[in-house]
Amino acid sequence: MSIIDLTSMGEPQSDLKKELNDRLTKLQDEISEYCFQCAKCTSGCEAHKLLELEPHKIVALLKRGLINELVNSDVIWTCMTCQKCRERCPQRVAPVEILFALKNMAVASGKQIPGKYTGMLQSILSMGLIQDIQQTTTRSNKILKRDELGLPPPSKPTDVAKFQAGIMKIAIEKV
Amino acid sequence: MRRIGVFVCHCGINIAQNVDVKALTDYASQLNGVVVAKEYKYMCSDVGASLIKNTIKEFKLDGVVIASCSPRMHEHTFRRVANDGGVNPYRVEISNIREQCSWAHSNKEQATEKAKYLVRSAVSKALSLEPLKPSTLKVIPEALVIGGGIAGIQTSLDLANDGFKVHLVERDPSIGGHMAQLDKTFPTLDCSSCILTPKMMEVANHDNIELLSYSEVTSIEGSIGNYTVKIRKKPRYVDVDKCTGCGDCASACRLKDRILSEFNQGMGKRGAAYMPFPQAVPLKYVIDDKKCLFLTKGKCGDEPLCKKACAQGAIIFDQKEEIVERKVGAIIVATGYDVMDPNSVYEYGYDQSPDIITTLEMERLISSSGPTKGDILRPSNQQKPKSVTFILCVGSRDETQCTWCCRIGCMTTLKQAYLLREKLGEDVEINVCYNDLRSFGKGYEEFYRTVRGLQTNIFRGFPSEVRTIKDYLKIDIFDTTTSKLFEIKTDMVVLVPAMMPRADTIEFSRLLHLTLSGDGFFLEAHPKLRPVDTFVNGIFIAGCCQGPKDIQDTVSQAGAAASRAATILSQDELEIDPLIAMVDEDVCTGCGICVEICPYEARTLNERKRIAEVNDALCVGCGGCIAACPSNASIHKNFTKKQLLNMVDDIM
Repeated sequence: MSIIDLTSMGEPQSDLKKELNDRLTKLQDEISEYCFQCAKCTSGCEAHKLLELEPHKIVALLKRGLINELVNSDVIWTCMTCQKCRERCPQRVAPVEILFALKNMAVASGKQIPGKYTGMLQSILSMGLIQDIQQTTTRSNKILKRDELGLPPPSKPTDVAKFQAGIMKIAIEKV
Repeated sequence: MRRIGVFVCHCGINIAQNVDVKALTDYASQLNGVVVAKEYKYMCSDVGASLIKNTIKEFKLDGVVIASCSPRMHEHTFRRVANDGGVNPYRVEISNIREQCSWAHSNKEQATEKAKYLVRSAVSKALSLEPLKPSTLKVIPEALVIGGGIAGIQTSLDLANDGFKVHLVERDPSIGGHMAQLDKTFPTLDCSSCILTPKMMEVANHDNIELLSYSEVTSIEGSIGNYTVKIRKKPRYVDVDKCTGCGDCASACRLKDRILSEFNQGMGKRGAAYMPFPQAVPLKYVIDDKKCLFLTKGKCGDEPLCKKACAQGAIIFDQKEEIVERKVGAIIVATGYDVMDPNSVYEYGYDQSPDIITTLEMERLISSSGPTKGDILRPSNQQKPKSVTFILCVGSRDETQCTWCCRIGCMTTLKQAYLLREKLGEDVEINVCYNDLRSFGKGYEEFYRTVRGLQTNIFRGFPSEVRTIKDYLKIDIFDTTTSKLFEIKTDMVVLVPAMMPRADTIEFSRLLHLTLSGDGFFLEAHPKLRPVDTFVNGIFIAGCCQGPKDIQDTVSQAGAAASRAATILSQDELEIDPLIAMVDEDVCTGCGICVEICPYEARTLNERKRIAEVNDALCVGCGGCIAACPSNASIHKNFTKKQLLNMVDDIM
């Protein structure tokens, strides 16, 4: 018959839910249905502490099929993609992948991307990296450069124009 | 002059750290009547036992006092050791200086003083202990099994295969119990009847099993090894020797398809002449004397059609109930459970719509032998439902109803969700409202995961009510995983009701002198170490009469009960503990108060001698009659007033 979210009068979007779950299957992650809401993902979520992202709740809403609500929410952009949730999920569900998919959906629907993301995107397009990391601070507050740690310089695209064209192609074809 | 030996145990440091055992031993050796006192680290060990035995021989002791842990722990051990050493085992007195002294106090000096008092009084009792000899009782190598569900069936088969004669009493016309009503079983999805009916047939054909179906136990007398049981065989109004199970009577019955079928949970109909289900054992028809026109009104048209139809002449309307007597050595109670009436949780509106059903009713809908031949149809309009919603824990884990978990609700729901998905296809919405989902058994968690993957909408939370609206049902549910209130419109609601003790459990427990636990189920003697024993020797419990259980656990428990009963039945005779009541015939006035108060029916009045007597086999030594006797004629062996007062004098 029917299930309605009385808070927003939203109805489940089963087709979008299927699309998302299919994507998880393709990536060899488990579909959201297997999530049993242990919230291990949220307990360890780096974005939760500062930005209130609750990956388990994202999965719960996906299970209910309330996709539009997720796509329209700002919180999906707070994920730092650290992959801890995927790494540690006892049911092999990957909230991080769900968030990637939701962000893609948001972009596809023409939704405004938060400002910092545009900056990051520019950075990727120009040098292939979100950030050009050159030095790091140790636990004893010592600043070390890459070469001092024996690391090679970060590899960057040699032909920036070709790289940009490739990225655009990926974005258009939704790979 | 008596020769008593005192043995003080350190119990590692349990006693020694708070009681000066050396001082205590020295003190004990000075006591009147004591010829030797010794201490040792673990008196209950082999070395400790040898120490006691050797000391008994060396000092020619005739009584022993052990200052150690509670007699509940090791009295039996030390009685055996004393017996091996040559002292009558009933001339052993335990002085509990652990639970009642070292564990209870922290001041060593004072605790040692208290231990001295305790040992002194134990010595004074040991001085007056009588040597006793246990009497013996012949064991009848037959068992009574009450209840013919899967628990009773399994116990009966196990005992019968061990070579013991079994009398299996079933209240209903057929054995099988609740398991016969189920379609498939979780988590393996074995067909319930396919695995049950072979066992039922085995019961019917086993040389060692006497099946007393449609019968009830009316009285039980006697004790372990020798019970006399009276069983009421209700009239079937059918000669079971002539009935071939052809069903002509049922087809002819004027009330055919007009009486709600109990087996189908009221979802299907039967006649007054009926067989509960096609695989019934025994495969004999029965006439319902509460419904049959001829039996209730004395008239069934011109003549009863069933009688006319029966070519065998098996219908006997003047059949009377019969009381039979059996003698058995052990009893296994396997009386099962009742399903809670879902109307006690009124807010779920069980009586408001035919589309609100219980899991057991759903089981009959799913079953191919059920009223719809296995088609899932809404009871209100016989249409396929587009949405089915399960509500778990209806009355379970509820302080206002049943506080316990039914232990099968979660898995039953998952199993039915699986079968509904299989039968109704992908487009049907299946919702489950739960609080905690408990899938604890082998293969259960994997099954839960499988069902999650079958597009089952699982809501964490319970609806406050189910509303019946014209042709559908409406549920508001707050889902705690999304913190959202959802409105579910659904075609059918399946309630998962609590599992309750049988309605007549209290009455029945009085018949057998069994104890009930707080939840009203039969109480086991120890929750971990004696799970199928009761406090009445020789009576065991198996299955859901002890508490909610799934089939797996029930079968294991039934096997355990059979094995415990076999321990008794395999002995020719049993020793009876002599620490029981006796009567001082010179003092007894024959007032009969003890006869009235004895909860074990061990007391009788000898009319000729005009005194009360004790049946040694029945008396458990509870002491009730000793306290009740107004003329001090009731005596508890080795707990006489004189012995006890001596002990008190020595403590004061």
